[in-house]
Amino acid sequence: MIAVNSLRLRLLVGAAIWIVLALAVAGTLLAALFRGHVERRLEAELATQLEQIAAALERPGAGSLILTHQPSDPRLRKPYSGFYWQVDGAEGPIFRSRSLWDVALRLPTETSPDGKVHRHRITGPEGQQLIALDRTVTLADAPGAYRVVAATDETELTAAAAAFTRTLAISLGVLAVALVAAVAIQVQVGLKPLHRLRAGVAAIREGRIKRLEGSFPTETQPLVEDLNALLQRNEEVVARGRTQAGNLAHGLKTPLSILANEVDRLAADGASQLSAAMRGQIATMRQQIDYHLARTRAAAAFDVPGARVPVAPSVAAIHRTLARLYVDRELQFAIEIPADHVFRGEQQDLEEMLGNLMENACKWARGRIAATSRHDDGLLTITIEDDGPGLAHEQQGHALVPGARFDDNVPGTGLGLAIVRDLATLYNGSIKLGSSTLGGLRAELILPAG
Amino acid sequence: MRILIVEDDPLLSRQLADTLSRAGDAVDCAGDGEEGHFLGDTEPYDAVVLDLGLPRMDGITVLKRWRAAGRTVPVLILTARGSWPEKVQGIDAGADDYLAKPFQTEELLARLRALIRRAHGHATTELACAGVMLDTRSGKVTVHGAPVDLSAHEYRVLRYLMHRKGQVVARTELIEHIYAQDFDRDSNTIEVFVARLRRKLGVNVIKTIRGLGYRLEEPG
Repeated sequence: MIAVNSLRLRLLVGAAIWIVLALAVAGTLLAALFRGHVERRLEAELATQLEQIAAALERPGAGSLILTHQPSDPRLRKPYSGFYWQVDGAEGPIFRSRSLWDVALRLPTETSPDGKVHRHRITGPEGQQLIALDRTVTLADAPGAYRVVAATDETELTAAAAAFTRTLAISLGVLAVALVAAVAIQVQVGLKPLHRLRAGVAAIREGRIKRLEGSFPTETQPLVEDLNALLQRNEEVVARGRTQAGNLAHGLKTPLSILANEVDRLAADGASQLSAAMRGQIATMRQQIDYHLARTRAAAAFDVPGARVPVAPSVAAIHRTLARLYVDRELQFAIEIPADHVFRGEQQDLEEMLGNLMENACKWARGRIAATSRHDDGLLTITIEDDGPGLAHEQQGHALVPGARFDDNVPGTGLGLAIVRDLATLYNGSIKLGSSTLGGLRAELILPAG
Repeated sequence: MRILIVEDDPLLSRQLADTLSRAGDAVDCAGDGEEGHFLGDTEPYDAVVLDLGLPRMDGITVLKRWRAAGRTVPVLILTARGSWPEKVQGIDAGADDYLAKPFQTEELLARLRALIRRAHGHATTELACAGVMLDTRSGKVTVHGAPVDLSAHEYRVLRYLMHRKGQVVARTELIEHIYAQDFDRDSNTIEVFVARLRRKLGVNVIKTIRGLGYRLEEPG
């Protein structure tokens, strides 16, 4: 179904109107030309007859007028055949063609007997509409004038013109249909780059590509370039926002470290009550910075379209990092992530989520950690499991709250799982906690697949 | 142990240096990447605390250059940039540990000790030799369970020798690892420290290897 406000419909309707108008005008002109041509041929024939008859008129020795010979055309002998001639004298018709039978042609009164051929339309026998040519003839050796008339039925002319017009109309109609079809094809072909453009933009929105690629027609190329420039700018703005957020964090974290160290010194000097309060506030500030920094980064990242990242290399990078950070623990990692599992989003966000989940597993595991992934229905489920103590069912919901900590002896801010949950939510994903068959916690990260 | 701190914030740098000195380490500080790189490239440190956002040369570049030149010194990255992609980048550049600011001093100390221990192939925080026990975490030394009171320099000498148990340690090597760079070094003081150590420990574990240096070993 074509929408009313569509380029294709506009082009098609516009072209159709022009085609129909042009062909109608052409058809009318052609029909008129044809009729004029046939009429001239007919009149030429009548004129010849007229001249033959005029040449055959004689009045030998001042006697009565005679016709030395009659035109030979057989149509002139057949009654009411539609082809007639007649010679009028002062008292009415003198000679008539046999085809006139018992009827005499009645001509309008001659207004200018000048010997030239005049054209008339008259009614003939049986109501036939006739085209008549007449001429006044004067004979050299006799007084008086005679009118010679040659006439023919107009019906034949009209029928021929009508037949021509009919054929013409059919031909032009077919031509019009063919032209409109050609225009439709042309519009289809012409608008194809627009469809490609639309498909490209849709792909960017769905995160399958980052930029419109390939060459487009010169008319749409500027649009494509502008769009790509816009995407580029968008990415730059996000990158700048990210850098500024990072700078802000950097700017705050070092003074916070110094403050924390001063508080430690204060505690050593015996001001334990004051230092405990300050330590609490510093911890809160640290949490706020970490939590909102991660959120800002993620929120900014989500607006950039076109990001897709394979999961396996990111898991491998986190594994590599954790293996170094937890080298003393001699942890066994079992990682099974198929190479074709792709996350639709930013690599940094994926690594932030994976890093928090896998580090959490490292902190609690006795010795074994497993990472697997599943892909179905456009969703990617990454599962991280460990063989640590796990969480009781009622703790699992609480674990996703920012700042929740279950063992103060294990270092951490208590933000990891909350950050993972927030990031996953931004990507319309989710995180589920449960019990692992390994014995510890099982975290399922559900994300859009690319 | 001799530790290099590369940190552009002078206040934090001084705090770290104070903390580490109190824990019995010789500390050098560098305020920018180039100076840090130069020191790490020329002085034998036992561990480096490296910030990433540094003037003149960023921390990742410093680290990569050390590693490319074959410097295996344990490096702990201490940075405000605590996101996972940044951790991955730091570890991939050759860091041994990564600590995000703001940090707890105890955690930094514990991690540094762990790095040094690991670099010397020890799994626990306690070093032992013929009844002499040295806990690198608490800084306490005991002989057959009885605590021994050591000065900072004596402690440093003993700790270094115990990390290198069974190996010959040259005097110059000892000097390099127990004094900070800008300290007035005198190799004769080493002999004084060793003599005091032998007296305080009461067990003959430090052997003098003539012309080479010292070796810590089980007596007999």
